[in-house]
Amino acid sequence: MRALFVVAALGLAGCASEGPPRLYDQNDMELAAANGARMGCSCLFVMERDEEYCRAWVKASPNVAKLRFDSARKRVEASVFISFAATAHYVDDQVGCVLE
Amino acid sequence: MRALLCGLVLSLSAPALAQNCPTRPSWPTDDWPVQLVDPVAKAAQLKALEDFAFTLEGEDSARKGYRTDGLVIIKGGNVIYERYGRGFTASNRHLSWSMAKSVSSALIGVAVQQGALKLDDSICDYLRGFSGTSVCGITVKHVITFATGFAWQEEYEGAPQGYQVSSVIAMLYGEGRRDQLRFVLSHRAATAPGGQWLYSTGDAHVAAAVAKGALDRKVGKGAFWKLLFEKVGMKRVVFEEDAKGTPLGGSMVYATPRDYAKFGWLFLNDGCWDGQRVLPEGWVADSTTPSEAFVQHATKADEEPSGYAWWLNRPVPEHDAPSPWPDAPVDTYAALGHWGQRIVVVPSEDVVIVRTGDDREGSLPINELTHLCLEVAR
Repeated sequence: MRALFVVAALGLAGCASEGPPRLYDQNDMELAAANGARMGCSCLFVMERDEEYCRAWVKASPNVAKLRFDSARKRVEASVFISFAATAHYVDDQVGCVLE
Repeated sequence: MRALLCGLVLSLSAPALAQNCPTRPSWPTDDWPVQLVDPVAKAAQLKALEDFAFTLEGEDSARKGYRTDGLVIIKGGNVIYERYGRGFTASNRHLSWSMAKSVSSALIGVAVQQGALKLDDSICDYLRGFSGTSVCGITVKHVITFATGFAWQEEYEGAPQGYQVSSVIAMLYGEGRRDQLRFVLSHRAATAPGGQWLYSTGDAHVAAAVAKGALDRKVGKGAFWKLLFEKVGMKRVVFEEDAKGTPLGGSMVYATPRDYAKFGWLFLNDGCWDGQRVLPEGWVADSTTPSEAFVQHATKADEEPSGYAWWLNRPVPEHDAPSPWPDAPVDTYAALGHWGQRIVVVPSEDVVIVRTGDDREGSLPINELTHLCLEVAR
């Protein structure tokens, strides 16, 4: 029984430790936009730092995201060239910002 | 019968004693009392600490040095040292990064204390939409001891193999971002649950989701605040979620350094607050003992041993590994996060240290931080 379980577990695992790591289907531009929006929103509305500080805080490599802070509506949009954009908005003082 | 009655009277009149809670002259539920160290008597120790911890050089934008945003030392229930940097103040919340993992495991402890779950339960008992799937062999204990068995890739910005192999980056910002729980649980199993120890932000996300599932059923929305944060006076904690409402328990908590210190103080006081148990008896001891998964499956290369997502200054004889922070007492344990976030608890010295920071090129070492803070505190 135990042997059967081990076989089943190995079957489930496939060639886990042997094969190449999984590759995800995102690209760097998409990541830069999402990072900029999420981290920018939380920086401004949760950590309560100013826009200049938050632009530096979210700076990532590649540093391609352009941030647009909307303090009135508590939203931050990050765009990368014309292809990728992401928005995060502030919800409340318990869950902070959510990436849309 | 008489003994039973006496026991009842005792438990009614002395809840702290009945729950085996430590007593303190006061509790910092409202705020910490401040009794700063004498700056003259401790001048040398203060200079050594500040020379070490505040080493920003040149332009801030160069991101060099140990860039401390907040440093607070608690001893005997008082703030004895406090300094902020880089424009932060006592009222600014700071990102926890992976210190959130210790908060998430504590929330599992809260759920156990509330009778809302047991560690041997399947995670599927508390998560919607997964019953009957292959992940139901994973128990609550597996997720708080990094033993789910998932083929997880814990890599951060600057990952040598590129972003495309990082499970964390894919989860937070890439394909997994909108439903992070489902993303984690869709990972391939590298082993059966309990068959490996692998540090994983995904596992801690699952822990927080399980805690929320169990506690929300019991007390409704906002259970983390009602049953943990408000009880210990962490008034301004933010615990971020994804668009599906999964709390991002591996990385996205925000709190002030003084509030993080209250979390450390809860652990320093055996999970009790002002005579009431927030965490079950024995929870802190279990959280701060190397887990079975760590002892069985981690290696010497894994550095600090871990219990329930706390990092321990304990030797692990099974790995022939000495205490990882040789200049700190062996009972020291810590919550640790990316870019140098630290909550360090030293029970034998009645000390809690909180350090928030933004170290982009090598995080401030725990050994030296603890040693230099204790020199100030002694």
